[in-house]
Amino acid sequence: MIIAQQKPIKDIAEMIADCKKVLLVGCAGCVTVCLAGGEKETEILAAALRIMRRLQDNPLETVTYVATRQCDPEYIATMDNLVKDVDAIISLACGVGVQYIAERYHDKWVVPALDTKFIGGSKVHGVWEEKCGLCGDCVLHRTGGICPIIRCSKSILNGPCGGSQYGKCEISKDVDCAWQLIYDRMKALGRLDKLMEIQPPKDWSKSRDGGPRKAIREDVMIG
Amino acid sequence: MSAEKTGSVLVVGAGIAGIQASLDLAESGYYVYLVEGSPAIGGTMPMLDKTFPTNDCSMCILSPKLVECGRHLNIKTYTCADVVDVQGEPGNFTVTIRQRPRYVDVDKCKGCGECAEACPIDVPSEFDQGIGERKAIYKPYAQAFPNAYVIDKENCIECGACEEACQAGAIDHSMEEETIELKVGAVVLCPGFEKFDASKLAYYGYGRYPNVLTSLEFERILSASGPFQGHLVRPYDKKEPRRIAWIQCVGSRNCRVEHGYCSSVCCMYAIKEAVIAREHSKEPLEITIFYMDMRTYGKGFEKYYERARNEQGVRFIRSRTYEISEVEDESKNLRIRYAQEDGSICEEEFDLVVLSIGLEPSSSIKELGRKLGLTMNEYGFAEPAPLTGVGTNKPGIFVAGAFSGPKDIPETVMQASAAAGASASLLAEARGTLVKEKEFPPEKDVSGQPPRIGVFVCHCGVNIGGVVKVPEVVEMAKNLPNVVYAGEYLYACSQDSQAAMKQIIEEYDLNRVVVASCSPRTHKPLFQETVREAGLNRALFEMANIRDQCSWVHMHEPEKATEKAKDLVKMVVAKAALLEPIPQVSAGVTKVALVIGGGVSGMTSALSLADLGYRVHLVEKEQQLGGVARRIKQGLKGEDIPSFLSDLIARVTTHPNIQVHVGTEVQAVAGYVGNFVTTLTDGQEVQHGVAIIAIGGEEYKPTEYLYGESDRVFTQLELEEALAGGDPRIENARTFVLIQCVGSREPQRPYCSRVCCAKSVKLALKLKEKNPAVNVFVLYRDIRTYGFLEDYYLEARRKGVVFIRYDSANKPLVEKGDSALKVTVTDHVLGVPVVIDADVIGLASAIVAPESNRQLSQLFKVPLNEDGFFLEAHMKLRPVDFTSEGIFMAGLAHGPKNLEENIAQAKAAAGRASTILGKDQLESHGVVAVVQQDKCAACLTCVRLCPYNAPKIRNYAAEIEPLLCQGCGTCAGECPNKAITLQGYKDRMQMAMSRALFREV
Repeated sequence: MIIAQQKPIKDIAEMIADCKKVLLVGCAGCVTVCLAGGEKETEILAAALRIMRRLQDNPLETVTYVATRQCDPEYIATMDNLVKDVDAIISLACGVGVQYIAERYHDKWVVPALDTKFIGGSKVHGVWEEKCGLCGDCVLHRTGGICPIIRCSKSILNGPCGGSQYGKCEISKDVDCAWQLIYDRMKALGRLDKLMEIQPPKDWSKSRDGGPRKAIREDVMIG
Repeated sequence: MSAEKTGSVLVVGAGIAGIQASLDLAESGYYVYLVEGSPAIGGTMPMLDKTFPTNDCSMCILSPKLVECGRHLNIKTYTCADVVDVQGEPGNFTVTIRQRPRYVDVDKCKGCGECAEACPIDVPSEFDQGIGERKAIYKPYAQAFPNAYVIDKENCIECGACEEACQAGAIDHSMEEETIELKVGAVVLCPGFEKFDASKLAYYGYGRYPNVLTSLEFERILSASGPFQGHLVRPYDKKEPRRIAWIQCVGSRNCRVEHGYCSSVCCMYAIKEAVIAREHSKEPLEITIFYMDMRTYGKGFEKYYERARNEQGVRFIRSRTYEISEVEDESKNLRIRYAQEDGSICEEEFDLVVLSIGLEPSSSIKELGRKLGLTMNEYGFAEPAPLTGVGTNKPGIFVAGAFSGPKDIPETVMQASAAAGASASLLAEARGTLVKEKEFPPEKDVSGQPPRIGVFVCHCGVNIGGVVKVPEVVEMAKNLPNVVYAGEYLYACSQDSQAAMKQIIEEYDLNRVVVASCSPRTHKPLFQETVREAGLNRALFEMANIRDQCSWVHMHEPEKATEKAKDLVKMVVAKAALLEPIPQVSAGVTKVALVIGGGVSGMTSALSLADLGYRVHLVEKEQQLGGVARRIKQGLKGEDIPSFLSDLIARVTTHPNIQVHVGTEVQAVAGYVGNFVTTLTDGQEVQHGVAIIAIGGEEYKPTEYLYGESDRVFTQLELEEALAGGDPRIENARTFVLIQCVGSREPQRPYCSRVCCAKSVKLALKLKEKNPAVNVFVLYRDIRTYGFLEDYYLEARRKGVVFIRYDSANKPLVEKGDSALKVTVTDHVLGVPVVIDADVIGLASAIVAPESNRQLSQLFKVPLNEDGFFLEAHMKLRPVDFTSEGIFMAGLAHGPKNLEENIAQAKAAAGRASTILGKDQLESHGVVAVVQQDKCAACLTCVRLCPYNAPKIRNYAAEIEPLLCQGCGTCAGECPNKAITLQGYKDRMQMAMSRALFREV
């Protein structure tokens, strides 16, 4: 899922400093699961902003709503009548949600409450880790199910580099060397020979280097 | 034996053991008479400040049990009462009780305390160990049950002031002693212990020097409810001490005062007191503990000791203190003279000295034992029948707690549950014959009705009424929205007020009830029962605490207190308007137990439950029953283990209620308390209501001391087998070296294996018995022969076994010599290396958790501790329960213990399990959390955070099993999409309360 975290409340408050009434929109998708933008966080943020503004003698009116998902236009449409009289919309979704809202309500001031961090999963309750580099051309079958694109600090394809020490990456003793993990796992699987195959330079055009991407399934498209 | 057994049990002594045994029995379908000599139940626990090793507040963890025990319909408590005689036979005893006069009518007394205010006589308080004072009319402690005062006639001058002050008319100076006769089927004795009188050891100066205190006095100083409200000061001059010393073994391990045994708990309580004292002290505090052997053998104890020593700066000095003298100045500080291990004499000055006094049986206990014809040991403690855990030489009479030897709280609780289980098994056919059940009228349907709230405001004598202007509060309440009745009561909890309340509910057609009085902790269940009797759902009741949280804390500001009381009532009335009935969810119980592990523990649990009439599936992964005990030849007291074991196996395999599955393990577990479905590896599916995990432990295979390299290096179990089998390596040996703590108390296994010290001592004695000419050396770190096992340690030393202490930093060295094994160890007295040519080396290797613990912990979703043993729901008071209901543990799976202790624990697990199997229906705990599934993101937050494993994800959304939910509200608070609400604690209720607070009336 997408992992996001809330921005400092001061930053959010500043974005809506000139507003009197705002709509805060949570998302019941990924950001609920990563505890950043579900109904609970939406209500807390609304209350916090109200308190902050009241202390500044500049009261703020808030309306809250939680969309099933902000990355599908139909779910955005369900809040049409809440949007009309607000000065701004604060989205507690990932960057996708903010943009979908901004697209639909083009005359509204739409701001993000979250920083969208990465694609990952939860390690234990309260800790999330990055697992996928969104490179558009998966190599996990070659690397024992460990992604070198995002988990190696250099995204090396024929690793490790000279900075791997005692299984850790040179950038921090808290970061595992992905190539050490790959080596250990391939060894345990008895497939070290696979690692001897040299990987040619990766086609990064399938990744962000090729500009904004689109995925199309013609077979499911209507009309 | 007579045909009909009596379905009631007498429990003697209402400390934690008596309370636990009573609750377990009452919950299992037996009527209980709980007889206590003092005016209140609770025993010693209420006096303690914190409890080791979790530092939980003693009173806080005990208090819910006091309330539960006090309120239980099937427990009849007699305080100020003694057992005079027990006649009859198992199943049918006649008990004579002497009920001493209390001079206060327990039913009328509301515990308001006006009488004590009026009483002119001050007496040193027993509860505060004489440091504080009480009146001649008093309540032993704030949370006491019965919540009633008592007159101490020895000090009473009969001035009548109390009678005048009592508005409830509860005082009766003319009460007389009564004799009560009771019929019971079994007797559980748990009269507890007495503290050693430290003034008997003149050289410690207790009683002469004001700054020498006992450990129990120190507990009261630390306690927030104590004479100094928890401020750490010396009673002598109220100054904060800077240097405190503890002296261990005061009245323990001392043959000169006939207290040769070890009191088992003092090492840990001294460390705990030291650690807590440091927390209480604002200034740096120097702490020293003078000890002989540090006996931190229980679960989690060794780590507590290590932390105190390494992180909390507690100084431990191994020594024998032989004199305390007073400094000749105003300070009255103390000088301790002690001998260090190398024999040198030291002297140090301290501001305060705490004597870690031992436990002893009281004279009344000894008397009771004699009267009942129980076998007592030389020290006057009860001697339990061998390998029964809780049995005595008198069938039908069981023991629990310190009566059968000094022990700490969890072991006491375990024994209590075990004694309850054993009594229940004995009286199986009489189960349910004497218990009462409360009948209620059907519930009125209040749905759709506008709220009609009744407000009952209590004066609590003058407790509330003396500060808060109750009539004003009532007038205000009358004007609140939805309120149709408001009235005032002298004691809302009295019988007549309760009757009035029911009548008013009827008359005014109330559908919500608010009582403004004292603490919901003690009184909410009582009022809820009253509204239920009036036909209302219990959840339609709410309380405002205008006493503890208002009149008591603001007693000098009556005006403001009245305003606050009004605010509290306003808030609660606003919430009450939104209350909804909460239906009680119930489910049937599969009256079958699954016991996993066919060792002594598992078999004992299985037999106990089978004897109670429940079907039991006993699962053992090996092809035969018996477990580790198959390798043990002799118990710690010399019991014949092989014949005990074969007898046990025979009883298990022939019992009609037990189905044994050998060569089988658990593969999958589904369901929850009362209704589990477990799949075994042989494909069988077992339906059961409870599960007991008793899969045992393993002996650590040492990598040290040439184990595996020389055939003369044995583990303890191997040595025992070789000794019994007449192995020539043993027969021909002249010199034995037994090395302790092999694999225990090490960084990778930082716990004590508990049984090895006593086991090595017994092995040493056995070797000496076979041939007194052999040399036996025991190399140890601390000898931990707790309780009466200390006698064997003494015996071994008398018989010439040589004990040499080593440090973990300087371990013995074992090398292969020409003909023998060469052991080098630095002698702790001489400080020089000693070389021993050993023919045989015995290694006291650790007890380790089997790998399968991890598997089972995942299958049953129950936790393990850091050492891989199963983690109980509460270290002190729930030693065999898991937090997930319906699952229990026993034996080595829980942690290292000896056979006798495992048996007690196994019976305890069975006793606890029978509290569930004894019910036909299990009911939810009232307030439970519910999921609005369309809002659920299946994020797992609730699943991960619930301490009771109540939520599960099913069909892409969370579901909370109401029977498992304890209503703690964690999930409701944490749910990121607010899909979970805790019944009775909805957001809108809380918001309504805040709004009401700020609304003008």
